[in-house]
Amino acid sequence: MSGTKGIGREALREWSAALALAAIVATFAVLAPDFLGARNLSMLAIELSNTAILALGMLLVILPGHIDLSVGSGVGLIGGVAAVLVTRWGWPAVGAMAAAAALALGVWWLMGKLIVSQRMPSFIITLGGLLAFKGLFWLVIQDATVPVSPAGAPNLYARLTTTYLPPWAGWALAAGAAAWLIGGWALRARRAESDGTPYDAELGFLKAFLGAQLAVLFVAVMNGFRGVPLPTLLLAASYLAVSTLTERTAFGRRLYAIGGNAEAALLAGIDVDATVILAFAAMGAAVAVTGFLQTAYAGASTTTVGDLMELDAIAACVIGGTSLMGGRGDARGVLFGALIMTALLNGMTLMAVSPEIKYVTRGVVLALAVWLDTRLSKPA
Amino acid sequence: MTPVLQARGVVKRFPGVVALKGVDFDVSAGEVHALCGENGAGKSTLIKLLSGVHPHGGYEGELLVDGRPAAFRGVGDAQGAGIAAIAQELALVPALSVAENVRLGDWPSRRGLIDWGEARRDAREWLGRLGLDVDPDLPVERLGAGQRQLVEIAKALRLRARVLILDEPTAALAEAEARRLIALVRRLRGEGIAIVYISHRLEEVFEVADRVTVLRDGATVSTRAVAETDRAALIRDMVGRELGDLYPRRAPHPGDVRLELRGVSAEGPGGAVRAIEDVSFAVRAGEVVGIGGLMGAGRTEVLMHLYGAWGRRTGGRVLLDREILDARTPWEALGAGLSLVTEDRRRYGLILDRPVGFNLSLSTLKDLRRRGLIDERAESALNQRDVDELRIKTPSLAARVGGLSGGNQQKVLIGRARRSAPKVLLLDEPTKGVDVGAKVEIYERINALTAKGLAVVLVSSELPELIGMSDRIVMMRGGRVAGEFSRAEATQERLIAAALGQKEAA
Repeated sequence: MSGTKGIGREALREWSAALALAAIVATFAVLAPDFLGARNLSMLAIELSNTAILALGMLLVILPGHIDLSVGSGVGLIGGVAAVLVTRWGWPAVGAMAAAAALALGVWWLMGKLIVSQRMPSFIITLGGLLAFKGLFWLVIQDATVPVSPAGAPNLYARLTTTYLPPWAGWALAAGAAAWLIGGWALRARRAESDGTPYDAELGFLKAFLGAQLAVLFVAVMNGFRGVPLPTLLLAASYLAVSTLTERTAFGRRLYAIGGNAEAALLAGIDVDATVILAFAAMGAAVAVTGFLQTAYAGASTTTVGDLMELDAIAACVIGGTSLMGGRGDARGVLFGALIMTALLNGMTLMAVSPEIKYVTRGVVLALAVWLDTRLSKPA
Repeated sequence: MTPVLQARGVVKRFPGVVALKGVDFDVSAGEVHALCGENGAGKSTLIKLLSGVHPHGGYEGELLVDGRPAAFRGVGDAQGAGIAAIAQELALVPALSVAENVRLGDWPSRRGLIDWGEARRDAREWLGRLGLDVDPDLPVERLGAGQRQLVEIAKALRLRARVLILDEPTAALAEAEARRLIALVRRLRGEGIAIVYISHRLEEVFEVADRVTVLRDGATVSTRAVAETDRAALIRDMVGRELGDLYPRRAPHPGDVRLELRGVSAEGPGGAVRAIEDVSFAVRAGEVVGIGGLMGAGRTEVLMHLYGAWGRRTGGRVLLDREILDARTPWEALGAGLSLVTEDRRRYGLILDRPVGFNLSLSTLKDLRRRGLIDERAESALNQRDVDELRIKTPSLAARVGGLSGGNQQKVLIGRARRSAPKVLLLDEPTKGVDVGAKVEIYERINALTAKGLAVVLVSSELPELIGMSDRIVMMRGGRVAGEFSRAEATQERLIAAALGQKEAA
């Protein structure tokens, strides 16, 4: 009905995050020549993993129309619990992380339960969580710096962010990803041909090919420094999990339905409360993984780990086109959003921009991104 | 004498529907002019037009105030001309005080600050004139329905209203409050205010009105002096429509009883006023049982309660295929074999922002699961089948359902309800806001489903539809069953009489 202009708008909106990212990367590439160096990109990849995994969890909570402000404090708390178990209680790293992760799942399940059963706004409950977890975190680590591994003996916890795949493994991974993307395209194209469903095979191939190229390029760059960092594998796994959950499972459909119209979802026979509780439990899992990564990246649990990470996660979602009202957003957008936030911070750090200006810039970019998205999503 | 407010030949169109087809209406100072008609006859549209909700330019024909053409751009203009509508859902802010509400948006100020003393004095004075003595500092939510209405009327009179439009003012009131309101209406008429009075309660019309206009299908049927007419004539005017071939209901071959309600009582959340009491009826396989009644009679509540979406059971039981059904949630009801198409499809039915396919399969995601994932090919095959069979006009399965016409949206909901292979289908106003062509298609779908042994409960406010499509009709009033009619017994006059709680109109 709205003709080519509408289509142009839609395409622009779909690619606006990618365009913004390209602009940021180009700017830093000029202003800070080290930005595109293998070493910096490797660090950027690790930082991205920390932010993006949390943001992907946040997506699951925002889709049904909720919000979680407690995740930053949670990241500190859960990482801190694992560090204390290792350093002070002498637990093996695996056991400590498993226990801390179980704690995260339990606590977030409980928050979800509280929110739906008491009909309290998630904003309030998780704001309470933000404060309470921060306090508990400092109690747990006793305001000290708790290393993630006993001195001089790096364990699995410490290695989370210092492990890199050997070059050959990276290449094997790239080859696998490329084969999977191209193979998936071939399968879809053949199916579409056999049952006559509309499928733009050319565009599909372009997307798959672009993805394969990105995978190869990524491995090439990472191998230029120390290899593919372990956190990026965790990110890849989280991304696959969240995009599959949201796009291919009944759970994901329910999240969109609840966010789109909770009352209609209920009358369509969806157990709204159970679904929201599950989403919060999944958020707990993301908090645990991010907690371990972020703490390991810092080398020790200190009082500032996780500070403001909830806002980065929400910002990544919003920049990636997720509606805070719920019902709209996807994993790919969130990944782009996290990339924009991380690249911005990383580039500015590289240029030795003062912390004051960093905060201001991030705030302005967030507001700009949302403004752009609202403008583009307004009916023509 | 020139009427204060007059509508001449007004035509109001909405996408797909003509709500008013050339209506003439006028009211003079010191007159109460009643407006009657079935639900959907066009009363609300006419009121909205008179009170500026539907602005000038959106309709054809003209409005005259004191004989001069008026072009309201909004409610503000209408209020400026002295026209105030008191809607069924009152426009008060519950958490604000009586004084704040009376002066809502027009707070007296002194040196930039609100002069609360003046606001209180003012509110007390206006409410006193209406015979209401309440503390102006009390929040409106603490008042009863009748008192709230008076607050609203005070607000209107303070704005120098010369025309007061009352939309079912006694619907939410207890008997004593209703009496007081009617007395007030008389007094205001004596003070020279023109009053448009909409009511389903015919006895009130005869008690309070000078003239009465009947609307039907968006057109004026008659305007008479109340003194020269009677109840039977009014009812005839309201319903007098011939049933054509619009209703293709075929005579059923009913099977065993599928759904049975035995003295079911339930109350709304927080002990709200709305409740259903001692409701009993049965639906056989292949049968359509219609439920009629006025708005607020408890029809929707019965459906929603059966479906596990409303109310706490306080008595009685429900049997489905002879087994006790006690669904407390919609998914329990769905699992047991009940399926519901809601009354307000945009608000309670569809996820408007999502595609047609998404909405069609929303209730049956479990059946589409293969190894934990949704089998998208099987899903789109089923969705495509529904789109074809139900003739849903959509650009594609991926199109936003919110972009479809009302009839096609309704078909999506019916497709979804049908997908779960229910034993009993609950339909709440399935043809509301749907054009005639789609209506007939929906009726045919109902026939096809009952032919397969489904039992259907059909709630409808349109009497012809109720009579045309139901094999039996249960009329409700005040949360109770007011009468059950076989197809042969059901005439519009009898049904209306039952809904109004009167002896049959002679």
